[in-house]
Amino acid sequence: MNINPDDPKWTAYVLGELNDAERAQIEKELESSAAAREVVEEIRLATDLLRHEFTLEQAVGLAPEQRHVITSAAARPVGALDERPGGRRPPLQFSRPMFRWAGVAASVAAGLLVVATLSVPSLLRSRQDAPLPQAATAPAPVGEREERDGGQSVKTNPTAVSRDKVESARKTAQVAAEVENLRQIRQWQQAGQLLQQGAQASGSLPAVPPAAQRPLPAYSFAENKVLTLPAGTPGPTTVAGALGDRVDRPQFNKEAYDFISDNAFVRVTQDPLATFSIDVDTASYANIRRFLSMNQLPPKDSVRIEEMINYFSYDYPSPTGRNPIAAYTEVAAAPWNPQHRLVRIGIKGKDVDVAKRPPSNLVFLVDVSGSMATPEKLPMLKSAMKLMVERLGEGDHVAIVTYAGASGVHLRSTSGDKKEVINSAIDSLNSGGSTNGGAGILLAYETATANFIRGGTNRVILATDGDFNVGITNQGDLIRLIEEKAKSGVFLSVLGFGMGNYKDSTLEKLADKGNGNYAYIDTMNEARKVLVEEMTGTLLTIAKDVKIQVEFNPAEVNAYRLIGYENRALQHQDFNDDKKDAGDMGSGQTVTALFEVVPRGVEVAISAVDQLKYQERVLDTRRAANGEILNVRIRYKDPDGNTSQLMETPVIDRRTAFNNASTDFRFAAAVASFGMVLRDSAHKGQSTMDSVIEIAEKSRGADKSGYRDEFVQLVRKARALKGNQ
Amino acid sequence: MEDATKSTWIVAALDQYEGHLLRYAAWIVGDVERAREVVQETFLRLCKEQPARVESHLAQWLFTVCRNLAFDVRKKENRMSPLKDPETIPITYDRPGASLEHEQTMSQVLRLMDTLPKNQREVLRLKFQSDLSYKEISEITKLSVTNVGFLIHTAIKTLRKELLAESAKRRIQ
Repeated sequence: MNINPDDPKWTAYVLGELNDAERAQIEKELESSAAAREVVEEIRLATDLLRHEFTLEQAVGLAPEQRHVITSAAARPVGALDERPGGRRPPLQFSRPMFRWAGVAASVAAGLLVVATLSVPSLLRSRQDAPLPQAATAPAPVGEREERDGGQSVKTNPTAVSRDKVESARKTAQVAAEVENLRQIRQWQQAGQLLQQGAQASGSLPAVPPAAQRPLPAYSFAENKVLTLPAGTPGPTTVAGALGDRVDRPQFNKEAYDFISDNAFVRVTQDPLATFSIDVDTASYANIRRFLSMNQLPPKDSVRIEEMINYFSYDYPSPTGRNPIAAYTEVAAAPWNPQHRLVRIGIKGKDVDVAKRPPSNLVFLVDVSGSMATPEKLPMLKSAMKLMVERLGEGDHVAIVTYAGASGVHLRSTSGDKKEVINSAIDSLNSGGSTNGGAGILLAYETATANFIRGGTNRVILATDGDFNVGITNQGDLIRLIEEKAKSGVFLSVLGFGMGNYKDSTLEKLADKGNGNYAYIDTMNEARKVLVEEMTGTLLTIAKDVKIQVEFNPAEVNAYRLIGYENRALQHQDFNDDKKDAGDMGSGQTVTALFEVVPRGVEVAISAVDQLKYQERVLDTRRAANGEILNVRIRYKDPDGNTSQLMETPVIDRRTAFNNASTDFRFAAAVASFGMVLRDSAHKGQSTMDSVIEIAEKSRGADKSGYRDEFVQLVRKARALKGNQ
Repeated sequence: MEDATKSTWIVAALDQYEGHLLRYAAWIVGDVERAREVVQETFLRLCKEQPARVESHLAQWLFTVCRNLAFDVRKKENRMSPLKDPETIPITYDRPGASLEHEQTMSQVLRLMDTLPKNQREVLRLKFQSDLSYKEISEITKLSVTNVGFLIHTAIKTLRKELLAESAKRRIQ
């Protein structure tokens, strides 16, 4: 097949600008034509490079007083803005050139000019302020005087002409070398040479559509659930908007938090099954804590209830049989609606003997220069580091050294059981400044040596986007230093982040000499794999792809609602599909899910689907009459297995009152209540900040780590900010 | 919308777009200080809008207003100092020595980009600095979507060709 590389469609494809049909067409061409794949790959390289280049531009901001003028204007209602207080100089760019022209000496005259420019433009402005920006001022198209033919004849501007040609050529050659490097990295990634496991994941790279256009599986379930939202809740329209706008442009606040719509009640006669993946993340709780500690209420969409519940550890017994996981269930009244029942499903991963794996002494050397600020760099590293910290134990130690303009110890070597200390140090890593890695790497090695664990893993982990500047040390000295330290047992691992990892060869050399490995991290999955699974290789995953499916008994249950896990939902058929991914569990981890259940005979407002015409649900009365309210099925795979195992356990409701439930049950209910109040959930029932505090205070239990106590403090803080509701 | 909510909305918009708009405006007017005034004025105009009317296309709205204001400033500046070609006004930074520093650290690719026609440079900037869609860029620059796609494709092709040519030359030497 002949392809035309001059067709703009290739670039449009790479940038995610094509519609479904056009994209499908391109993908067909990519499958059959090597030339097409090459064109697309070249464009991809160039676009990555450009994107990276722009991130390197010096960041600029408004002056504080300019921001102040804007924020105080924002606080005033629309319409009241024209009455500016007399003394303030309106921020008119028009006045500035006049100022200059008048000169500083003629201060009196300048003052008059300012007065003149004050009144005229503000009059003009009020007339110009039509609702659409097009009408604001007449646009002056760029390139009026220049060719619009897209640069068939490249116009050189005066600065380019005046540049030393030899110098220019040399630099261009360097850039070409960098592109070459980038291409190699990609090829390695595709061939899976960087990480053996990576090969399966990224097998047929050219055919994978641009990230923005890959379907987001989480939404399919949300769409289903939206249909069951009670009439009158603002859910459906908002959700539709959010889904419809799921396009690849920087949408307002999209970066921050995806829209979460609470799971609604589902009638058992409509759908007796709830299917979801486990979620061992805890980020949302830490995030909420961060907001509250800054005296701010967290944005509603940042509140993910399952991550709040799973932040806390619960005392589920470790499995004793051959299964790596064990499941526990408990039922009692829902504290926010005594007519409803609350079902807790808890899963515990097998405790692997900590003594069996060597302790780790890890020193992160983190590049916090300005270029690390983009989401796929420092923020992703931070998330991955937290996942890793999750797996550490008492015998392990973590320290963090940062480098940018200056280097410093950000976190002294800290025992792995002080997770809150480590996590808050990770949270406070911020980017800014330029890179100077030389002093940083010395400091990191010093820290590692000072905390050396004999017989353990001693490792410096350098995380950078490739702008590794050896600073005071020259490269030869640096490599000798690393070689020497490697002999002493402190190893170096290098993690490359971001799009264009220019200093690739330097980094690889460093890792090579440092007896370590070098990984290029482009996605959260990769980060998880490298930092969690490989770097702490002996910290075991004990089960992978853990899925839960709950079947409700219509003889006992009218309706049910899964609390949280909104973005973890699976299609029912995915439960038995071993090809569908789900969450993994590590040794000793616990996962908790709560269902709010409306017993048969208790009514609940659900906007009903009309009675079906042709269907009749036949109840197996014999089986349904056994008193079980639901049946839990769990599927998991062994860490190295491809076939899932099934576990099953029925649940009987013994009409336990809430106050008679276990401590852990009541505490988890308090956390869920708090989440619902923060989210202003339609399902929060009688939950208030006061009721949350009351329950949590009585269900602190042993609370060795003090997390539950901290929780009560947080709720108090939230109450002070938000009120009791 | 409540005033408090609107105020949060403006601040969030400011946080998200301030840097992007400033760099874009600075590129047009050639001076960070004036770019700041342009961007401040852009946000003051946003304050006067009903959020409901702008929300759905906020980025596009901000960039369009910012662009129009910036071109007004540049036109005026030209009248004030007619001997100066706007294309050659160097971007100046407010820290002493920063301009030189910038000159030295400015990437080779960005330098190479300077050789492209101005309309190509603008769409590249909007696409890769601010991650706007073809559609948004088309609305902002008043070029057709097809034209935007063509300009970006051509610009990328030119950059790629030059890089490869240099690389080949190097191998022969």
